[in-house]
Amino acid sequence: MLLSVTTVFGRLHPVLVHLPIGILLIGILLQWLHNRESHAVSIQVIKIVFVTGMLCAWISCLTGYVLSTSGDYEEGLVDWHMWMGIAVAVTASLIYWKIVRQETDILYKGLSIMLLLLIMITGHLGGSLTHGSDYLTAALSEVDDAPLPVHKPISNIQEAQLYADVIQPIFQKECYSCHGRGRQKGKLRMDDSVWIMKGGKGGPLLIPTKPDASELVKRIMLPTTDEHHMPKEKPALKESQIALIKWWIEQGAGFDRKVKDFEQPGKIKTYLLALQNSGSHDQDSLVPAVPVEAADIKSMDALKEKGVVVIPVAQNSNYLMVDFINAVNIRDQDLALLVPLKKQLIWLKLGNTKIGDSSMSYIGQCQSITLLQLNGTRVSDKGLPALQSLTRLQSLNLVGDSVTASGILVLKPLKHLKNLYLYQTGVKGKDWATLAGSFPKTHLDTGGYKVSFLASDTVVVKMAPKKD
Amino acid sequence: MTQKELHNPQLIKEANDRILRHFTRRHFLKESAMGMGALALGSFLTSCGSGASAAAAGAADVDFALAHPLAPKLPMFPGKAKRVIYLHMAGAPSQLELFDYKPDLMKLNGQDCPQSLLKGKRFAFIRGVPKMLGPQARFEQRGSSGAWISDNLPHLATVADEICFLKAVSTDQFNHAPAQLLVHTGTPRLGRPSIGAWTTYGLGTENQNLPGYVVLTSGGHFPDAGKSIWGSGFLPSVYQGVQCRSEGDPVLFIKNPDGMNRDLRKASIDAINNVNRQEYKEYNDPEIISRISQYELAYRMQISVPEVMNINDEPQYIHDMYGTKPNEACFANNVLLARKLVEKGVRFVQLFDWGWDDHGTDPDTAVDIGLVNKCRTIDKPVTALLLDLKQRGLLEETLVVWGGEFGRTPMMENRDGKQNPFKGRDHHVDAFTIWMAGGGIKKGYSYGETDEIGYSGVSGKVNAFDIQATILNQLGFDHTKFTYEFQGRPCRLTDVSGTVIDDIIA
Repeated sequence: MLLSVTTVFGRLHPVLVHLPIGILLIGILLQWLHNRESHAVSIQVIKIVFVTGMLCAWISCLTGYVLSTSGDYEEGLVDWHMWMGIAVAVTASLIYWKIVRQETDILYKGLSIMLLLLIMITGHLGGSLTHGSDYLTAALSEVDDAPLPVHKPISNIQEAQLYADVIQPIFQKECYSCHGRGRQKGKLRMDDSVWIMKGGKGGPLLIPTKPDASELVKRIMLPTTDEHHMPKEKPALKESQIALIKWWIEQGAGFDRKVKDFEQPGKIKTYLLALQNSGSHDQDSLVPAVPVEAADIKSMDALKEKGVVVIPVAQNSNYLMVDFINAVNIRDQDLALLVPLKKQLIWLKLGNTKIGDSSMSYIGQCQSITLLQLNGTRVSDKGLPALQSLTRLQSLNLVGDSVTASGILVLKPLKHLKNLYLYQTGVKGKDWATLAGSFPKTHLDTGGYKVSFLASDTVVVKMAPKKD
Repeated sequence: MTQKELHNPQLIKEANDRILRHFTRRHFLKESAMGMGALALGSFLTSCGSGASAAAAGAADVDFALAHPLAPKLPMFPGKAKRVIYLHMAGAPSQLELFDYKPDLMKLNGQDCPQSLLKGKRFAFIRGVPKMLGPQARFEQRGSSGAWISDNLPHLATVADEICFLKAVSTDQFNHAPAQLLVHTGTPRLGRPSIGAWTTYGLGTENQNLPGYVVLTSGGHFPDAGKSIWGSGFLPSVYQGVQCRSEGDPVLFIKNPDGMNRDLRKASIDAINNVNRQEYKEYNDPEIISRISQYELAYRMQISVPEVMNINDEPQYIHDMYGTKPNEACFANNVLLARKLVEKGVRFVQLFDWGWDDHGTDPDTAVDIGLVNKCRTIDKPVTALLLDLKQRGLLEETLVVWGGEFGRTPMMENRDGKQNPFKGRDHHVDAFTIWMAGGGIKKGYSYGETDEIGYSGVSGKVNAFDIQATILNQLGFDHTKFTYEFQGRPCRLTDVSGTVIDDIIA
């Protein structure tokens, strides 16, 4: 308890320091203006300003000292900052003493100039501590300003770079915020191989080929409640991330070889495989990333009156799901009501309704649709060409419809189509090969799965004869 | 009474006095009784949260419309799963004979259990030093994912690549009822809403003619925790699971009684609802609204339920696929029903199959006899369910969860210190397997590992809260923000714990 109270006291430092800076600067200003009749304020005011500024400076020194003991900051810099801070407090106190004694000699003026300089130096050192020493200059210097790599989805994990494509993204996401260009807590920087191998305040970060002896692995595996756990005060890394880091260190912690160059135990293989094509999720999401304006309420109500479920896909989203589960007897022309919602409508569920081909022209106008269920309807090959305009379509369910391969082929331009359900349709035999050739990126679900009959299915195991 | 008497002032005074006394006494008693009741009710209403007041205060994240408690509602973010089918094997099947292959345990077969495994542990029945029991099934790696599945589930083995296994699940309850409550309601004690109730509370249901949360049981007994595991706890009772039967009337008493036709039924329900509406005006108890909507739902269900609950209209090849048994209350029939229900938009379907308590006290609970037979009753239907959902395009948005309430020990049970007559395993809390499929979960994936003998998890350890958090996440809810005001604080399914298992999300 005591520990945490002092910790909180220490953490007040970054807030409190602004008080002496502001107050003492005002004091200096008032001091200098004191000689100009038009702007002069009473010496009493200056006295009050300096006594407050002095007290705040001393409190800041105390909190700052407590904070520096946490060890999160670079030692040399902290020492400088501390002595400068103390110098500020001492100088402010001396000026106050001079005012009390009503001495306005050369020393008085000298102290005032010194105080101004000290405040500037201390402030700069403090800023360097929290934001990193190159915080100010980083914006000017181009050398160290290489943008962080943007990771593209990995199409073939075996051809990917083990460090750059597998390990570095983990570090970038989980570690750089404290151990990167901006900040180097514990004097550790992880955004380049040189610094990774150099390690931090506590010694080397990792020992190649010995993951369990490496500080990095030890820290990320500590329970989140442990104060040495990394990433600090954030959830632990995923099991797969930890396993991959350990494996990378075990394989020598190199920075320039491909995944296929290394031996991959079974589990690592699954984790690596999981990385393949991941990261492409956002663009493949069934909900567009770009927000849309809210749909017209009257148009929504018109549909709702027909018993149709019209509902946003989530809170804070204007994209709509429209489900006809309670309105299976809807007529084709009623689907014209969908058209005013074409910007927002992304999931359309018409399964087991009585709609037919003539309604497809309305659906074709709703070009935001990503998921379309037309299973168990009267839709046939004639209706499908109208769906060619649904360029964002990812999932299409035609189960039980009288559509054939030749009809489905018109949907070939739908580049984003991932799942096409064709169970109980007119697609037969050789058609599947034709379709598979025309839809290389689409999962064509043939359906018609069987669960074979096994002799053991109906056999009941009885008690084995007793043996002694 | 004569005219004279009527005008006798003394008599009139006397009468007035009596009337007054009568009224005051009765009035006092009545008012005090009602008054106290009203006070109590008032406090109940605020503490029971009536989500309405919480919603008005902006505390609840769920838009709770009193008049339409089951109307479809928005998730916090677009969920990959729209529906859940939860298959619970009540009694807790042995993971060591199904999914968690431990060849090293075979080497220890018949040896005394080392003290290190027993120290500080408590078991339901094991006393003293039990013997180790090697796996009583033949295992093989299945599919391209290489998941270990035993010969007890030969059909499921063919769809291994659709499944995501959680191999290191643990719990802290070693008795059936509390453990089942923990899995389904987030606490081992009674009184909290089940996960299906939370789901229908959060999402409502799209099909307004069917309940949002249906429960089907098989195996001859209810699960040990009783109906509380599909109860609504402190949520309005409209969200509790509706138990349906696969044989006879799907819902008890849903048929009109003899001599009552549908119009008369409608008239009587309208009359009852009118009375209830007046009652609601007087007391403002949200439970009355629940009751009104339940009556209306029941009336609509008289038509819709017999239709959806009738598996006889399914073609023969579907029956063959699931291995259904006509006119019998069995797991296979329930699984087929579950598929029909989710197809009709039911939000949460929960199946409880009793009889997985493999102690080895008799042949039916022996891991090499009873368990094998039990597996045969679920193997085909569960496999068929995954394939059937897949071919109908439903698996994308339907999350299937299979599991028990805890695991079984790597030791052979020795009840009260004596060897059991058959090969059996005691309740085990430290490690068991649960699997999920569909609903945006990775396919052909295994998460977590147990030690060489399957005693406890060594990596990827998860518990009931993590699984609940993951299910809610797939449905579009942040489990830490999905709350209901009760007893003065926002309560949630996972209470104060739970982490979404990110690693298994596709």
